[in-house]
Amino acid sequence: MADDGSASNRRDPIKSSVGNVAGQRRRQQAVTVAKERRELLVRAKRLCRVGTNGDVEDALVENEMMVDEEQPILEAQASKSVEELKSAVQYQGKGAMQKRVTALRELRRLLSKSEFPPVEAALRAGAIPLLVQCLSFGSPDEQLLESAWCLTNIAAGKPEETKALLPALPLLIAHLGEKSSAPVAEQCAWAIGNVAGEGEDLRNVLLSQGALPPLARMIFPDKGSTVRTAAWALSNLIKGPESKAAAQLVKIDGILDAILRHLKKTDEETATEIAWIIVYLSALSDIATSMLLKGGILQLLIDRLATSSSLQLLIPVLRSLGNFVAVDPKAVLTILIREQNTEESIIGVLAKCLRSEHRVLKKEAVWVLSNIAAGSIEHKRMIHSTEVMPLLLRILSTSPFDIRKEVAYVLGNLCVESAEGDRKPGIIQEHLVSIVSGGCLRGFIELVRSPDIEAARLGLQFIELVLRGMPNGEGPKLVEGEDGIDAMERFQFHENEELRVMANSLVDKYFGEDYGIDE
Amino acid sequence: MGRWIRYSPGRIQLTNRSGGNVQLDAHFMFVRETKTKILNFFCFVQLRRRWLGELGFPYWNPIRRRFSPDSPFFASGNVERELLAKQVALDLTEDEINHLQKFVETESRRISCPIVGCPERLKSLDHFEDHYNARHTASCSVCSRVYPTSRLLSIHISEAHDSFFQAKVARGYDMYECLVEGCGLKFKSYKARHQHLIDKHKFPSTFEFFKKTQLSKKRREKLQRQHVSRLKHEEDKEAASSDAMEVEDKASVDGLVSALSTLTTSDTTPSNVSFGRRHGRGLTFVPRSVHKEKRTESSSAPGPTN
Repeated sequence: MADDGSASNRRDPIKSSVGNVAGQRRRQQAVTVAKERRELLVRAKRLCRVGTNGDVEDALVENEMMVDEEQPILEAQASKSVEELKSAVQYQGKGAMQKRVTALRELRRLLSKSEFPPVEAALRAGAIPLLVQCLSFGSPDEQLLESAWCLTNIAAGKPEETKALLPALPLLIAHLGEKSSAPVAEQCAWAIGNVAGEGEDLRNVLLSQGALPPLARMIFPDKGSTVRTAAWALSNLIKGPESKAAAQLVKIDGILDAILRHLKKTDEETATEIAWIIVYLSALSDIATSMLLKGGILQLLIDRLATSSSLQLLIPVLRSLGNFVAVDPKAVLTILIREQNTEESIIGVLAKCLRSEHRVLKKEAVWVLSNIAAGSIEHKRMIHSTEVMPLLLRILSTSPFDIRKEVAYVLGNLCVESAEGDRKPGIIQEHLVSIVSGGCLRGFIELVRSPDIEAARLGLQFIELVLRGMPNGEGPKLVEGEDGIDAMERFQFHENEELRVMANSLVDKYFGEDYGIDE
Repeated sequence: MGRWIRYSPGRIQLTNRSGGNVQLDAHFMFVRETKTKILNFFCFVQLRRRWLGELGFPYWNPIRRRFSPDSPFFASGNVERELLAKQVALDLTEDEINHLQKFVETESRRISCPIVGCPERLKSLDHFEDHYNARHTASCSVCSRVYPTSRLLSIHISEAHDSFFQAKVARGYDMYECLVEGCGLKFKSYKARHQHLIDKHKFPSTFEFFKKTQLSKKRREKLQRQHVSRLKHEEDKEAASSDAMEVEDKASVDGLVSALSTLTTSDTTPSNVSFGRRHGRGLTFVPRSVHKEKRTESSSAPGPTN
């Protein structure tokens, strides 16, 4: 910032303002919390409106009054501030730059001190064209910074407010360049991140205006808050669901190396943003997936899962792992074989997630296991011989419904060989017997009773395995013992035809007139 | 019971319900069509086994499942991330930072789930919503109505979405179960069950198990016309399939609460919900205690976050 060429007698004020700005940059963390809290309060207020009891509505009135009092004042101030900015921009004489910066700073303050910044008022007064003008090339850093900051907060609001930034985008993108000072580039990245976070249309606009390459290059340095902000913005930009942004990102030289490097070494907050980039890359780009796998990403993901306890980080890391496993079982097998059963092994970290109290970690870890279990016989043996089995069985009887469904997938996959061609997939009796004796049958029959079609289908399919595959014809008795016949007979009148046929055919075949007599 | 049709020996071809063709060798075969089982084969056991295989029971086949980033499968995991889709750059004084930091610490304070008997402690409204949807509701996959117990959901599904249920009703069977668990009585019509709930179990007379959705004026008028012409044909249309529009009635909810306070077993009914509420992403009610927490928080922390 000191080499921006401004007059030396102005250096001190600029430094101090930069100091302020840099300090506030460090409070990014607080900012996100503030935003979260705002969402909570906003949602609480919205819910109050639906309101079912008197005193809640009173509280709402109180809050609204408070906001109502302050809001018009704030809005008036915002309009005034924009007017001052307008005249400052037009003024060409001595001290013009200082005037502009002062006006910008005033507007920025108004836009960043409350949770309901007077964005609409500012927009109505014509803030955007002025802010765009202040972004012109050659402007002093402080001016660029304040202007980008204002735009950032305007873009953080409602959809139409974010869309209002359209005229500013080309300049914001331009200031991401390597010649820009770091704080300026970072603030522009932040604004762009907000725009990208709005929706797919705006993302497409940003992509077509070439936002991706300069943003991607901003994550090459080893550390700094700029890396973190840029990574966050990048994750918003490529999140899809279209894959073209992800495909474009992969092509940037050195980007995957930077990603791997950060995943390995950087602090948890930055790693969280990087992990989300990996989530989207692994879901949307096959090229990225194979290159990252070659670069050894699985082990890095496992290491992070083993060492971190930050839920914000664990979720995208686990999901990335899941995406990779869903695509390439061979890579997983290599890892599994290399690290048998230590805490750092893939099974170990998945078990850690299963033990977690966080529902999301449990569910997605079970999903990953289900995909591993869909692999070769070695994969299945790997899971079956470990500590996850009792964990899974416990989850089947206690957890919320959607997690239980995932467990059903794992257990069923463990018991069945992957089918070749049209033949009926073979049952792995050893696994089936041990899983059934672990007490899973009741959980499956519960699923049969559930109103969810997919769950009922899984339950019936597993029952078929038990009926067919248990040795000594024990199957039918076991199923009967857990009220399986009753559960299946409920499908006689079920409106879903497939389930009806499935259930009926099982009952016919195994509990027909010859049930109880040797067939 | 349907009649038996005898088929002469030989090969017959059938089309199964998923559209595949099957050929069977029958030495002798009687085929019977009934209302409950569409097709019964009276034949050798061996034949039935083959039928099972050839008509394609979808055997368990392990496959890997992949989901796109915006799949509903990942919805709960995306909740926090969605909050961060846009971030405001706030301008904070030292004081405000301190307040914010204090807030961050107290953020880890959790709210107890207000449902009686539930030990869960939740971090935020979102967490509460997820928890509530997972633990204390059952939602209909057909029409998205939400019920506080799986039993009630199951009853709803039978009554509202099952044509076989209606078929049995039309035939005069007692199909409408009493909603009170343990009562066990069944009735021939929705109205009769309704009356039983009022008479025997003291439900408010305004209580409606199945509330129709609020239709647009056009649709209502159209239905009204259809209803009038339908009335000419049949007499005993149940309320479940009638065009009665029910308006949310707070009094009925309160009355329901007292009536239900003796009912539930493991799932518990929250104090202010009515049956059949559709649920989208937002909660349609927030228990009082959750709001109380939010209010005391906001009144004790001045600064930009309030």
